[in-house]
Amino acid sequence: MPAKSVVTGMGVISAIGQGKAAFVAALLDGKTAFDTMRRPGRQLDSAYIGAEIRDMVVPLGIARQTLRGASLSAQAALVVLQEAWTEARLSDVDPRRIGLIVGGSNIQQRELVLIHEGYRDRSIFLRPTYGLSFMDSDLCGFCTAQFGIRGLAYTVGGASASGQLAITQAAQAVLADQVDVCIALGALMDLSHWECRGLRALGAMGSDRYANEPALACRPFDRDHDGFIFGESCGAVVIESAKSTEHRGLEPHAILCGWGIAMDGNRNPDPSLEGEMQAIQNALDASRLLPAQIDYVNPHGTGSTIGDETELKALHACGLTDAYLNATKSLIGHGLSAAGTVEVIATLLQMQAGQLHPTRNLENPIDPTLNWVKHEPIDYPIENALTLSMGFGGINTALCWQRA
Amino acid sequence: MTKIQLLDLIAQHAREIVPGLDAHQFLASDRLADLGANSVDRAEIAMLVQESLGLSVARVELFGPKNIGELADLFLQKLDAG
Repeated sequence: MPAKSVVTGMGVISAIGQGKAAFVAALLDGKTAFDTMRRPGRQLDSAYIGAEIRDMVVPLGIARQTLRGASLSAQAALVVLQEAWTEARLSDVDPRRIGLIVGGSNIQQRELVLIHEGYRDRSIFLRPTYGLSFMDSDLCGFCTAQFGIRGLAYTVGGASASGQLAITQAAQAVLADQVDVCIALGALMDLSHWECRGLRALGAMGSDRYANEPALACRPFDRDHDGFIFGESCGAVVIESAKSTEHRGLEPHAILCGWGIAMDGNRNPDPSLEGEMQAIQNALDASRLLPAQIDYVNPHGTGSTIGDETELKALHACGLTDAYLNATKSLIGHGLSAAGTVEVIATLLQMQAGQLHPTRNLENPIDPTLNWVKHEPIDYPIENALTLSMGFGGINTALCWQRA
Repeated sequence: MTKIQLLDLIAQHAREIVPGLDAHQFLASDRLADLGANSVDRAEIAMLVQESLGLSVARVELFGPKNIGELADLFLQKLDAG
């Protein structure tokens, strides 16, 4: 059998819920929170639609002075790490044997824009902390300081596949015995109006079609999709070896059976059928699973016209036509760097609930032959699941999960 | 501006940056490091004071003062010179 690792803790925040219980309840209810975005720094002569987190509850005992110097991405990280840490009882683990992999790069763009604009006319008084905080790796420093992590910590970037990439790197660190426990964090991507403008100009971000109807704009795999809709989210997944959990008597959420990573050899945002098939095939091979054994696929499904089409072709080509499918992004939006991690959490929570969440705005699937979970949640036991992410720059990742 | 006012200003910004000082009675002999301010915290506090005063002091000069009383003296001296 290939070496495997397990998930013993998870923490999540999104626009539709903070914490696993609220998050899965909102998913199964098909809740959404799309609107014209209002966070400072998100709009400039624009009305971009997205799903923003309101009323984040930060853990008790965090000093307001600590939060003052914490970006939105850092605050979200703190929230999800606290939840995952507590659940996995990491206070009982030697801190030198705990690692942290932060998935995402250039994640704090809005924060930077606000600082640049705020200090434009008084640059001599720029906060000295900016000399630290402009780097994404500040998140590693901030989080390891808060939790006393002494193993390893670094960031990995794979655009919208960063969240899944972080999980693969955390699993690698555990399987290579660098640490006993490694937390993968899908960092909250904090877009400024500049990134929104660029993503719109590129044709990646929607929605021209539903500019005045925010609730209808996010529609992965629907015939009327016209690009992804952004959604703030952040997730943490605690990965460890089965042996490591024995000492703490934990019941794992699921087993990570294997994964695949494949590049398209293409810088551009356009997807590649071959690359996606390769990642899926690699993941199935590494897991020693046959396509017919996969009960559920949590697809990348952003709402991009060509991205959605290519992904469904890849599922057909890989023989994954019997599995159930829904689109988590239809409910929470696209978290970019966070997406891969948060969607893995959505997958494992559905696996535990024995239920699959509905897909919002899936009125006319571009491929009606597949097993879509459309308007209502369904009861369905998942034994094996596949989660997919694709990122700009031609990166494709696929992870196989098994009920523990 | 009096030295008392400057000490109050330093105390106010120290409370913004360093946890646990809300009830602390600041004395001129207090050292920020002893109050829990690390080097980045001290740089932040000094910058906030400078901004409040509309005064820019070279970083190298801020290494001189040994406590907040001396820091207040440095700022007063710069204000007088300005």
